[in-house]
Amino acid sequence: MKMKRTFLFIFSLLVGAVAAQEKQVSDSATVKTERYGIRIGADLYRAGRSAFDSRYKGFELVADYRLTRRFWLAAELGNESVDSDEEQLDFTTRGSYLKAGFDYNCYENWLDMENVISIGLRYGFSTFSHTLRNYEIYNPNPYFGEAAPVAVNREFDALNASWLEVVAGVKVEVFDNIFVGFSARLNYLISDKKPDNFDNLYIPGFNRTYESKFGVGLNYTLTYFIPIYKAAVK
Amino acid sequence: MRKWLTGVIGLILLTPGCEKDDICDEFARTTPRLIISFYDFENANNLRTVNALEIIGDGAEAPLGVFSGVNRIELPLRTTDDVTRYRFRLNSNNEAADNIDFIEFNYARQDVYISRACGYKTLFRLADVGGVVLTDATPSDALWIKSFTLNTLTIDNEDETHLSIYF
Repeated sequence: MKMKRTFLFIFSLLVGAVAAQEKQVSDSATVKTERYGIRIGADLYRAGRSAFDSRYKGFELVADYRLTRRFWLAAELGNESVDSDEEQLDFTTRGSYLKAGFDYNCYENWLDMENVISIGLRYGFSTFSHTLRNYEIYNPNPYFGEAAPVAVNREFDALNASWLEVVAGVKVEVFDNIFVGFSARLNYLISDKKPDNFDNLYIPGFNRTYESKFGVGLNYTLTYFIPIYKAAVK
Repeated sequence: MRKWLTGVIGLILLTPGCEKDDICDEFARTTPRLIISFYDFENANNLRTVNALEIIGDGAEAPLGVFSGVNRIELPLRTTDDVTRYRFRLNSNNEAADNIDFIEFNYARQDVYISRACGYKTLFRLADVGGVVLTDATPSDALWIKSFTLNTLTIDNEDETHLSIYF
């Protein structure tokens, strides 16, 4: 505790805060309150990629609600259209997803700061379709010459998938009530409805799939906090 | 808690790097060839090796090969057409003793998904009637292929002999 306080003290000096403020932290006589409310915003990563990557269109809305001092209910809602141009396959995946779960704030704020370093869990669900434009036949013995890609333009629709995400995230209040955040996610596919004679190589929300059931994801969020009430810190 | 967090972030960063599904595995079951085994016509249970058997596909630029001392060959079928015809010229190293026969394969094709890296493969199903047609050269030099047996109509792997030829 002593070390922590020393650290806070030095840090406050570095930030340029008045050293005297440190007294406020150690002074437990005054009742400390914290704000509760809902934070809403959007993912800047998907927005940026939509602007600069012609093969991607997508967005993600994010929201979290402070349930207890440490727990936040959290959700993401998104829509994506992604062109995948693999060596042998050329297809587009379109679909929407919803992720819901919670974040646990592991970070002990000082003063009245409201930053977050969290670990959380989400359940994700997505409905989507693939349009396979063309594919190539893998032929290790092309005696009659390499065959041209086969144009099919076939649509595989009414597909869905569900998965779990372990989320590690950071949110920092940069202006009053405005937060920027980053999260990294490790996904584990629970179920997916596979198309006939094709595969779910990309799942909106889950992202690229691999031979195993794991996947990864991330977002950079910009969110606005709407305070609803204050509660004393017990 | 902080250690746990570090662990999870570490795991997230490490996981995708371990997977290599971008290259089609050379052992993956892809488009199969038609497997022919050669047998002794006089003694149908015995495999028989061919001598200087030159095989050329109709429309191909070069011979598939000249086979000697083998009793098994693999024939690629066209993945863009339902017919593949080959010329089989036995004793191609001897102008006086060579003999030409033709075999035509008629089939239906089905493209089957393999994986992200391999894409699709073509499987073949020989026609119930006229799947394998043996013809002599013109002018006739008599058939060196005395008879054949089709073991399966479905060509979906290279593990078994699809066509047995007796000579």
